[in-house]
Amino acid sequence: MLEISGLSHAYGKHQALADVTLNVAPREIIAILGANGAGKSTLLKAIAGLIRPRAGAVIRFDGSDIAQLLPHQIVERGIALVPEGRGVFGDLTVAENLQLGAYPARARDGEDARLAHVLALFPRLTERMGQAVRTMSGGEQQMVAIGRALMSRPQLLMLDEPSLGLSPLLSREVFRALKTIRGDGVGILMVEQNARASLDIADRVYLIEQGRNAGDGAASEMKSNADIQRAYLGQSREPATSKSK
Amino acid sequence: MLLFDILLPGLVLGGMYALIALGLTLQYGVARIMNLSYGESLVAAAFGTLSLYSGLKLSPLLALVLAIPAAALLNWLLYRLLLQRLIRRSKDRGAQEVDSILVTFGVLFVIQGVMLVAFGGQYYSYSYLSIPVTVLGSTLAVNRLVALAFAALIGTAVYLALTRTRLGTAVRAVAVDPNAAQLVGIDVGQLAGLAFAFGGGLVAAGGVLVSMFLTFNASMGVVFTMKALVVVIMGGVGNVMGALVAGLLLGVVETAVARLVDPGLTLAATFALFLAVLLIRPTGLFGKAAS
Ligand SMILES: Nc1ncnc2c1ncn2[C@@H]1O[C@H](COP(=O)(O)OP(=O)(O)O)[C@@H](O)[C@H]1O
Ligand SMILES: [Mg+2]
Repeated sequence: MLEISGLSHAYGKHQALADVTLNVAPREIIAILGANGAGKSTLLKAIAGLIRPRAGAVIRFDGSDIAQLLPHQIVERGIALVPEGRGVFGDLTVAENLQLGAYPARARDGEDARLAHVLALFPRLTERMGQAVRTMSGGEQQMVAIGRALMSRPQLLMLDEPSLGLSPLLSREVFRALKTIRGDGVGILMVEQNARASLDIADRVYLIEQGRNAGDGAASEMKSNADIQRAYLGQSREPATSKSK
Repeated sequence: MLLFDILLPGLVLGGMYALIALGLTLQYGVARIMNLSYGESLVAAAFGTLSLYSGLKLSPLLALVLAIPAAALLNWLLYRLLLQRLIRRSKDRGAQEVDSILVTFGVLFVIQGVMLVAFGGQYYSYSYLSIPVTVLGSTLAVNRLVALAFAALIGTAVYLALTRTRLGTAVRAVAVDPNAAQLVGIDVGQLAGLAFAFGGGLVAAGGVLVSMFLTFNASMGVVFTMKALVVVIMGGVGNVMGALVAGLLLGVVETAVARLVDPGLTLAATFALFLAVLLIRPTGLFGKAAS
């Protein structure tokens, strides 16, 4: 569904992405893991059209090249991004945020049904419809952000650190929702600090180091890979590892 | 009755301020262009109305119907041909504001120069529906009531369009966060152009209505630009309800000071109110709390 190759981007002289390759099949959940500053957010922004990739990059979605499209055109193709920091409209109400999610022409048909679906996914938004989003908790804002993205009827949902700053309970609720969303036929490409939780729901994983591909594979294999455990699952300090030295 | 002698003319004046501020909210709050030629467009619309009325005997209300789309089109062209290109060229938000100020400063002198050549520097007015009526014990001319009624009508329509329609909500979304607006599929450049054009239409409407009861000359545009800016900032930049309330408030306060203290002090009253509001609520009456 999404095929990326040769994707590079530099902020001034700083090379943030170099020759990245990545694929997402329909209904797949892909997790991107990498240290802070590895270029994960830059990758999602390039796909969403928020930054221009260097010439030569190929970003194909459903068979056509979208590398030169503008962000609103990319949403219209069926890719929605829940950005770092959520990007909700704080001054507007929950209902207005969700209504704006259905702004693209592709989303106008069946809008009411999709709204009902989003509210079934996040029931606590139902009684908050008239509330200004900036007065809500971080977790609730994240639900608005995901709900708004779903209102655009995406085929691919991209999320940048959706559990950042959320309580464990709310994080679990968000991850549960992502599984349901995939069940509805939407592919998911996510960047997540919480490697354990994302490996639990992901089908495949890409590792990014200093803007480059550093490996990929099935999530189940990644979970048992010793290097991955040390780098992302925080097991290097466990007694078993230190004894074996 | 003194209260109504102040309140009614105050609301008439305030209605004009609110309408003008609504237009500036669209231009500055949504399209992010600080348009220094704003008041000059208002005065140009006033002169246009005068010419149609005294030259062709056309009713100012017909001028209103003509002025709004004509001004919207001119403003859209200004945005598309000049301002948008400059914005794309500018590196950041600061450079963008400086560029738009310089360009619209130039436009100010062009419009003002043309008006000075055509009409000279003297004051103009015309007599349209200047029939006195008594409302709630205070006497004022019918033309003021007509102006107020149209300002209320247009203001309400714009308010409803901005708050009750998807397009209006999208316009407010661009004001709140243009980056996030792209992510819900809004063509921010196109919508900003539309908001700029429509803001220009509103200020032209203000010019037509103001010309029905105020005297005006070719060089007084800056006063309207300044007052529109004061009202927008007082109401909270980008806030539609704030612009409406602050506009009415300013009209009533200015009229009260002119009536009870001294007409020479209205401008001082404008700024006293402005400063008082900003000291108590730094982000304006309806602005979000500073975070
Ligand atoms: N707007 C920017 N301007 C300059 N450098 C940036 C900008 N955004 C990110 N960077 C740099 O690019 C690199 C990758 O950033 P980012 O994609 O945000 O990483 P990640 O999301 O993996 O933490 C970092 O070194 C970061 O400092
Ligand atoms: Mg990041």
